Amino acid sequence: MQILKKRVFVTGYGIVSAIGNNVEENLNSLRAGKTGIKKANHFQSKYVDEFSFGEVNLSNQELIDEIQFEDSSDLTRTDLFAIKAFQEALKYSGLELNEIANAETALLSASTVGGMCLTDQMYNDANLVIDRPSPYLAAYWNAAHTILLAKQYGIKGFTDTINTACSSSANTIMMGSRLIKAGRANRAIVGGTDSLAKFTVNGFNSLQILSSKACQPFDRDRSGITLGEGAAYLVLESEDVIGDRPLLAEVSGYGNSNDAFHPSSLSEDAIGVCAAMNKALQSAKISPDQIDYINAHGTATPNNDQVELTGIQKLFNRIPAYNSTKSYTGHTLAAAGSIEAIYSILSLKHQELYPSLQCKIPIEPFNQFPIKEFKKDQKLKYAMSNSFGFAGNCTSLILSKVS
Amino acid sequence: MYIKKVVCISPQDTIKDNFPQTGIIEFDALQCPAIEPDYAGLIPRGLLRRMGKAIRMGVGAGLPLLTGNKDIEGIIIGTANGGLEDCIKFLNQIVKYNEGTLTPTNFVQSTPNSLGGTLALMGQNSGYNVTHVNKGLSFESALMDAQMLIEAGDAKTLLVGCIEEISTYNTNIYTMDGFLKKEALLSSELLNSETKGTINGEGATMFVVDQNGENALARIIDTGQITHPNHEDLLECLNALLRRNQLEMSDLDAVLLGYNGDQSTDHWYKQLSHSFDEGTGLYSYKNLVGDFPTVSGFALFLVLKLIELGEIPKEMILKGSNRSLGKVLIYNHHRGVQHGFILVESLA
Amino acid sequence: MEVAALKLKLKEQIIEYLNLMDLKPEDITDEEPLFGPNLGLDSIDSIELIVLLEREYGLKIKNPADGRKILVDVNHIADYIIENTKV
Repeated sequence: MQILKKRVFVTGYGIVSAIGNNVEENLNSLRAGKTGIKKANHFQSKYVDEFSFGEVNLSNQELIDEIQFEDSSDLTRTDLFAIKAFQEALKYSGLELNEIANAETALLSASTVGGMCLTDQMYNDANLVIDRPSPYLAAYWNAAHTILLAKQYGIKGFTDTINTACSSSANTIMMGSRLIKAGRANRAIVGGTDSLAKFTVNGFNSLQILSSKACQPFDRDRSGITLGEGAAYLVLESEDVIGDRPLLAEVSGYGNSNDAFHPSSLSEDAIGVCAAMNKALQSAKISPDQIDYINAHGTATPNNDQVELTGIQKLFNRIPAYNSTKSYTGHTLAAAGSIEAIYSILSLKHQELYPSLQCKIPIEPFNQFPIKEFKKDQKLKYAMSNSFGFAGNCTSLILSKVS
Repeated sequence: MYIKKVVCISPQDTIKDNFPQTGIIEFDALQCPAIEPDYAGLIPRGLLRRMGKAIRMGVGAGLPLLTGNKDIEGIIIGTANGGLEDCIKFLNQIVKYNEGTLTPTNFVQSTPNSLGGTLALMGQNSGYNVTHVNKGLSFESALMDAQMLIEAGDAKTLLVGCIEEISTYNTNIYTMDGFLKKEALLSSELLNSETKGTINGEGATMFVVDQNGENALARIIDTGQITHPNHEDLLECLNALLRRNQLEMSDLDAVLLGYNGDQSTDHWYKQLSHSFDEGTGLYSYKNLVGDFPTVSGFALFLVLKLIELGEIPKEMILKGSNRSLGKVLIYNHHRGVQHGFILVESLA
Repeated sequence: MEVAALKLKLKEQIIEYLNLMDLKPEDITDEEPLFGPNLGLDSIDSIELIVLLEREYGLKIKNPADGRKILVDVNHIADYIIENTKV
């Protein structure tokens, strides 16, 4: 097949997170430096007293009311987030439903939890605890929400669901862009969704990497992850089909690598981290000093933040302005890559930088604070967004301002 | 994109080089368990003790390819479930110990990208690494990923493959939601079954794919897929796949069809069969291994074996043909919802 | 005798929890370093052993640093159990 290398633009976005139920609310929270991490209201677990969470401020019923589906009886919280953010992205892009209900539109989504947010129902079904199955038998899969969205919106092109743990939705942005560049789709709606689940809270807790206080990315005394939830979707389009609609950003580059070091931590010399960032720079055909801002992975585990700064230091002559917006949303797992890509786009679009919260003493030997306060009137052309996951999966994206 | 090598662990004796001359194994159960190789010498015991079946089979099939070829630049895996057994074991701990102190091994092993990470770690491969979990199209998505990397010149050689395991838990869920039959039957009788549901299978299939066709077994021409189609959409999806590769229906020498004995969904195969050329041979594959979301990886392995062998086991023949296997189409759907096509060309 | 029985039980439990399939209790001596080259255990195993102590003996090790002092070999763990389960 002929390789056409189309340019790929972002023409729509939608988001639901702990700091807002749409893009506008998220932007306002970032500008105000207002975190969404607090005690959980909706999530039920033994750990709700011990840990804070980046919980979305909507109950399942409120989400059901908002999405206005004919039948929402078997939708999980993961599905509901996905539908809500998807609807906003579509609306923003100005695309009509008939423009996406065809074979030229692709859908690529990510989830690590899927329907496992229904921990107890899944336990009952998998172990035949009760003789009547729950209504959620088709909902547990990572791909359940993707299949649901494809059905609801009549998407007939390439569909995909990716699970590379915490870098999952960054990879949907990469893969969707590649489909468009290769001429295999005109449009790709990409992103990810995850909801708080006993499964992940207990999983990360069993590895002793959850923080008992709100997470402190890039602080010397950081003590681990704060889990969050949410979803974010981006509409990516080929330069051929955008017409004169407004463009939010261009997807300029991406790099993917595996650290090949440990199942649940990164190598001290940042092998995968450096390789992912380096490949992203090469694919964008730019040099490190052209990066104006990095939205770091910044989970606030002792291991991640040290390794990430090590990698950045190795690659960049000087460490660019950086933040971890997980200090607002908590770690939203499969949604993190697409949520943070949207935050990077907001920085580019509005030419402003948002403060990283909770860092009081920077990490040695770098001694460089993340962005401390809201800064307007910046000159930002290229933003890098990093996502690193368990099993060594590292992805780095480069987004750029459309001039 | 060319296929250079393949290793397959499946319910048939595919770990032997001379399969299918070893004969086709028949099952009389609701499950077709995989025949696993001896992992000693391949997987250190310190690592093997933690691996669930899906990971173990994936490493068993993938690691020899990875260590045998230093040119492999990345690892792409398709799996609907990954290590589901570990996943539910961890879930059971959460409930049994009321979210108390839990052991992390099941959690770490249960994430579907665990195999991709384990292969990268054991094979010291820090290249491209993605896991596709798109249920019944996981393997097709992985193939597309690999093909785009190779066509764009981003990689020359890749490991691409798929895994799925049978567990008590997926059997329970599959039985309740109607994917599996209620009563066991002989696998030779599967395709004549008049009931709903199918039988469960598992396995791992790993391929080395390459930009260069030298000494290759076959070429992947392209893949196609569609979700929630009607019969017209499906036919158009296939026609579009053929058109963009300058092919016509009559160019297909053989089609492997995913008949699984489920009376509620086999009509998709029957209906599409009407569109194929009179001389095109039609063959089955799920009566050999049962059904599971990434079974098309096994079908692709079969195509390579049949090309190499030059003949087709009688168990597979739905409609014979005197045409040699030149261009072969694999058509599989998962529960009538996700439909995938893989178009292969023999280089023999 | 009671101590010997405890150590044997402990070895059986270590094998079960860590899925050390090809080992028998007699393959692990009382002084065998758990995290030495022979057994080859790692950081995830140490968390598994902490869970073992909690589930089987009701002993909670809150601080991972304490774990490192206790989870040295079977002797150290047995001493810790005896010390902390005295009535």
